[in-house]
Amino acid sequence: MQINENLLEKLEKLSNLKVPDEKRSEIEQQLSDIVGFVENLSELNTDGVEATFSTVESGATLRDDVPAQNRAVGDDILSHAPKAADHFFIVPKIIE
Amino acid sequence: MITLKEALTLNPGELDEFKQDLSAKIKASNLGAYIEQHTGEAINTYGSGVPVLIKDNIQVKGWSITSASKILQGYIAPYNATVIEKMTANGLAAFGRANMDQFAMGSSTETSFYGNTLNPHDPTKVPGGSSGGSAAAVAGGIAIAALGSDTGGSIRQPAAFCGCVGLKPTYGRVSRFGLGAYSSSLDQIGPITQTVEDAAILYDILSGHDPKDATSAKLAPDQTAKNLNPDRKLTIAVIENFLDQAGDEIKTATRNAIKALEDAGHTIIYKNFSNVEHHISTYYIIATAEASANLSRYDGVRYGFRKEEGNLKDMYFDTRGEGFGDEVKRRILLGSFVLSSGYYDAYYLKAQKVRHLIKDEYNKVFEEADLILMPVTPTTAFEFNSKSSPIEMYLSDIYTISLNLAGLPGISVPVGKDKAGLPIGMQLVAKAFNEQTLLDGAASAERILSL
Repeated sequence: MQINENLLEKLEKLSNLKVPDEKRSEIEQQLSDIVGFVENLSELNTDGVEATFSTVESGATLRDDVPAQNRAVGDDILSHAPKAADHFFIVPKIIE
Repeated sequence: MITLKEALTLNPGELDEFKQDLSAKIKASNLGAYIEQHTGEAINTYGSGVPVLIKDNIQVKGWSITSASKILQGYIAPYNATVIEKMTANGLAAFGRANMDQFAMGSSTETSFYGNTLNPHDPTKVPGGSSGGSAAAVAGGIAIAALGSDTGGSIRQPAAFCGCVGLKPTYGRVSRFGLGAYSSSLDQIGPITQTVEDAAILYDILSGHDPKDATSAKLAPDQTAKNLNPDRKLTIAVIENFLDQAGDEIKTATRNAIKALEDAGHTIIYKNFSNVEHHISTYYIIATAEASANLSRYDGVRYGFRKEEGNLKDMYFDTRGEGFGDEVKRRILLGSFVLSSGYYDAYYLKAQKVRHLIKDEYNKVFEEADLILMPVTPTTAFEFNSKSSPIEMYLSDIYTISLNLAGLPGISVPVGKDKAGLPIGMQLVAKAFNEQTLLDGAASAERILSL
């Protein structure tokens, strides 16, 4: 399986990140090599093997649905955020 | 360096003096095991107990916690991880940030944003990773003990490369609330220490149910340290084909250790596992898939680094493009690939099925054995920049990743050194929630090999 420029662009969109121009061909090659390697799993017969998997035998534990909020944690996060005002995070304008 | 057990007997005055000495030692050391050694800041501290070094992906309130990344520069932890709360309540104090591979993705600590950590036995060699700073500091005499995290071997492999003890507890045994998530079905926090008994002491403190972690098992804290029994005779299954594939010096040291264990009264049996390369593939599909989801939170909006030169979408692309290192980007892209429509069944679903087969393989051996024994690493510590491709680096994890896939506890204990004087580790694996057996076996090996 070859990861080409088209597929890399699709993966960048899915990943919300940009691969710089000077690294593109190197990353395409490395990803192709890794995907080629992991294809060795096709040698294994997994017919009838369950696909759902959890290492927790009993599944996730449940707890009572009690509302809890620690405002100090929120305030603290906002005070260190890249941009914040009036208890909101600020991002670039979305609607022109 | 005094052990954790000894340090816990110091009175407050002695402890203060010890910490001052330790700070001076850290300042004089060039290992780069503490992030503070790279940034020049004073050692971060929290609480007044016995100092324990903390990997830079575990939240300590008020500390800059960055997973050794650029994208988390400026982030300050707003609360403590549950393990930090437990340590503080048991006479331990978070003391210093341990260098690591960025977002715990790597096997050499070379992907850290801050720079390299040196192996204390040879400065031209890596300390292993991703918890390389934790292991190098403990082995290099500048930490009593440390916390690491282990997703595919990140506690055990650096412990083996540096010559100390590294314990990965059973999945669910130690709360991960406050651990920066990499691969949520694999991640586990654990101790890196000088002795097996210290590992047991620290593990006992860390363990126990936490309502803040939905994957945390409903079990009380463990009590392995006071019950530690190196005299217990166990049936140990050696995974022979794994051992055969290791480098010659690893093989020799491990075979010597097996002989010593047998002479000490343990029963040794021999078993084989299927192709180890299937473990690598399964791991890298599942871990990257989970990482691509977990790392989506680093978007420049709420914390850390932001690169803003256009609209919101540009901000996401540029922040993540610049903020993540190459290995992290590779893994996110790969995770997006294996989860994407058209490839999901062939890669992700297939890997989840193979994960069942791997777990079954372990279960089958545990029908006859108390413990499984195999190498930790195929070689001793390698040189910086010596792995020419990502796959070559991934292959250095062949013996450690299947435990995480199966959720089992494992420990790395030193069993000798190669001709160049680099440490060799041996790995023991136990059934889920059987840390006592694991530590008993490890304590026996430690005593027999008188390390």
